[in-house]
Amino acid sequence: MSHDYSKLIDELSRGHRSRAILSKILEVCGDSVLDLSRRNIIIKIVIKANCLRTALENIYKEHDLYLRTIAASDERSREGLFKLYYVFGIDSEGTNLVFEVPVAEGAKVDTISDLFRASDWYELEAHDLLGIEFNGRQMSRLVLPEDWPENLYPLRKEVSVEELKKMYQPQLISRVSELGVEEVVRIPVGPYHPALHEPEYFELYVRGEKVVDARYVGFMVHRGIEKLAESMKYDQVPFLAERICGICGFVHSTSYVQAVEDALGIEVPERAHFIRSIVLEVERLHSHLLWLGVALHLLGYDTGFMHAWRIREKVMVLAELLTGSRKTYGIDLVGGVKKDIDKDKIPRIKETLNVLRKEFKELVDVAMSVPQVKARLTGTGVLPRGEARAYSLVGPTVRGSGIARDVRKDYTYAAYHYVSFKVPVYTEGDNLARTLVRVDEVFESISIIEQLVDMMPGGPIKAERWEPQPMRLGIGAVEAPRGEVIHVVLTDLYGPYRWRVRAPTYQNLQAVPIMLKGVDLADAPLTIASIDPCFSCTDRAVIINLRSGSVKTLPIEVISRRVRENG
Amino acid sequence: MRMVKFLKMLSISVREGTATRKYPFESPLVTPEFRGKIEVDPVKCVGCGACTRICPPKALTIGNEGDEIVLKYFEGRCIFCGMCAYVCPQKAITVSKEFELATWELGDLYDEVVHTTVKCRICGKPFTTVKFVKEVEKRIDNKVPEDLLTVCPECRKKLTARKIGSKVVGVSGE
Amino acid sequence: MLAVSDGGKPDLTMSEFALNKLEEVFTKLKRSVWVFHLNTGSCNGCDIEVLDVLTPYFDVERFGIKLVGSPRHADLILLTGPVTIKTIGKVVRAVKAMPRPRLVLALGSCGVGGGIWFNTYATLGGYPQLEKILKDAGVEVDRVVYVPGCPVRPEAIIYGVAVLLGLLQPKSKHRRVSAVEG
Repeated sequence: MSHDYSKLIDELSRGHRSRAILSKILEVCGDSVLDLSRRNIIIKIVIKANCLRTALENIYKEHDLYLRTIAASDERSREGLFKLYYVFGIDSEGTNLVFEVPVAEGAKVDTISDLFRASDWYELEAHDLLGIEFNGRQMSRLVLPEDWPENLYPLRKEVSVEELKKMYQPQLISRVSELGVEEVVRIPVGPYHPALHEPEYFELYVRGEKVVDARYVGFMVHRGIEKLAESMKYDQVPFLAERICGICGFVHSTSYVQAVEDALGIEVPERAHFIRSIVLEVERLHSHLLWLGVALHLLGYDTGFMHAWRIREKVMVLAELLTGSRKTYGIDLVGGVKKDIDKDKIPRIKETLNVLRKEFKELVDVAMSVPQVKARLTGTGVLPRGEARAYSLVGPTVRGSGIARDVRKDYTYAAYHYVSFKVPVYTEGDNLARTLVRVDEVFESISIIEQLVDMMPGGPIKAERWEPQPMRLGIGAVEAPRGEVIHVVLTDLYGPYRWRVRAPTYQNLQAVPIMLKGVDLADAPLTIASIDPCFSCTDRAVIINLRSGSVKTLPIEVISRRVRENG
Repeated sequence: MRMVKFLKMLSISVREGTATRKYPFESPLVTPEFRGKIEVDPVKCVGCGACTRICPPKALTIGNEGDEIVLKYFEGRCIFCGMCAYVCPQKAITVSKEFELATWELGDLYDEVVHTTVKCRICGKPFTTVKFVKEVEKRIDNKVPEDLLTVCPECRKKLTARKIGSKVVGVSGE
Repeated sequence: MLAVSDGGKPDLTMSEFALNKLEEVFTKLKRSVWVFHLNTGSCNGCDIEVLDVLTPYFDVERFGIKLVGSPRHADLILLTGPVTIKTIGKVVRAVKAMPRPRLVLALGSCGVGGGIWFNTYATLGGYPQLEKILKDAGVEVDRVVYVPGCPVRPEAIIYGVAVLLGLLQPKSKHRRVSAVEG
């Protein structure tokens, strides 16, 4: 590339932040930048693997820059290389900065997990599923079962879904006879525990009543979704995406179709955008009511739990009326939606929302005045703003720590730019702050739906036709009830070539150990719940690995051995 | 006064009364839009298999069973998305409101539509349904090449290869 | 709770058990069933509907059904999810921890037939596959009812429990019809 970049930078940047970042990157590794381009809000930088770290070292302190996702993809059949796509967000400009990094088979990439702590799991996952190696960090197998064969990487293209099923024969006998004996003194929470609705495993290390450390051992709900999608057609994947999570499924299917639409430049009719936004907000309502109910239950205020669920049921009926199903709505297709919202349903929507607003206000007023609720929410599970930023957190978790990050505002999609709404932010960072963020969001959601149904334009609900093309990169992001969901799609002729899902809990779970340190044991379940964790989203492909402040992570046997040796 | 504010819940409870539905002793809370189990109309279905190709969980399958071709619907794996009804060219599939499907026999959850078949003129294997052939003929006005409707895809491949082969040989022989 | 056998001794086979105790136990079961919720890698959809069944709108406590925190206290397991490979060991242990008679309600299209992931490398494919493993491990399950749905509606769960307890006869029947000429 030539050495006068200023014109190029002018063309590509979307504001002073991206300008500064681009100039810095070109200044420090201009020769290693293979290509630079921009399409809509995506600035793509193709950069050599050996220079990626240098580039990021120079920009990672830039305010507003955070790691959204990393997608690894096997493109050996096309270019003889693996590729890593690092997606960063610049919130204030609503810009995605994508680093495309070609990696030859067997080559190593420098880790960036010390610069962007969130990248830890992404790197482990790329190693597990595609066999990409990273320099400068400890690797361990985490996603796949322990008896998974060496050198078999499920996301490599040479193996199909059916072949994998044949190649991997789980050792069922030894699994069944696993011993249940605990070797060291610790408090295991899960995988089956009354306070967790999903099979997840936490270990809390306690001194007296105080939690001094915590470990999260995920991986229980890994179902091999991303591989399965390789055998599916474009219009089948939304239904698969929806089943990533039964609570916020529509978020995933919308995110997927948006990624495909972005990649292929499909024009989606306005009416479809409105319908998607309305259903997304209905989903947020039910999810927040669900969360509030469960949180009150964990606080020991079961009356509130029952009333929250009583109110929520009206939203479920509304969802079924609008989409045909109480959950997993099944109306998203690439290019639009499958089901229209008829005019005669609008009065019903408004009526439900009015009742909901009134009843929810009553419930919150009463529930927040209950002394034990207030006392146990205030000042527990504190997450400082600095940590929230360093870990690239998302959703109500980050908004409870004073950062107004919301995809609906920052990277607006669907019909959200037509409505006015506030992004609730609290600065305390405790469980109360996260609760209040959600409470305020319920009222905002109600108002958003009311505005949307009033403004809904006529017209078709689905794009007439669209042509698939191979190897286009698309990004779809949606603000789920729990935070930002982001899907990266590489297209192919019949279905996605590579589909990368990143759920909000994937980012947020890393913050749990920070929140847990120093809380009373009795407050631990609520603190875990305060990020509204959704393990089925997260584990679709990954296990999470606890970073308790130190950079090194150790397998559990090592820790238990140490404890034995020392104590 | 502030201390007892939470007692206000009592008045809300009194006002709301009993929320509980008496199901199964009263009708369920099903809205008109609800998607339940699908019904395949054996009169309209021609056995083209469009539904089996779109079905995300492969709950609908089509395959040979002896001399018959059977469209199988496994309710136990169905995700009730309604895509089959959406794509069915014959409008043979309707989405019902039935959700009371519980049973202790897994076999009870299968619905099957059995089609009579057309056998390949060359190898004798059944390869498509009688109704599908009729439908194709009807739709394109009897102008279908004879081979397409009487020879199975594998034999057709061989046949074409042989035709091309003989042509090539013929050309080189000149 | 109805504790009949001690989990430590080898299980009676289903037929032995049926001869001795099953009928007797079922008459008692009509009074009250305690359930344990076992998520084997589900998407959460069925799980929130299970919670829905316990909250005011559907309130199954009116049938004496109660959610308990340990399989040792339970008569019935509400099994959701396609049984991921990683949960197998824990699932078998949880089922084994139940006293006889062991009842299972396989919920949702995942629990019944493995759902959309019935054929991936990371799942087993629902309760029918798990049943074989349970048999190999010597864990007998006395009665299973399959409840399809994606997710199962709260009403469908109630209906399933009613079928399990013999209060209602299942409506689903295997149907095999010939495609009639139109």
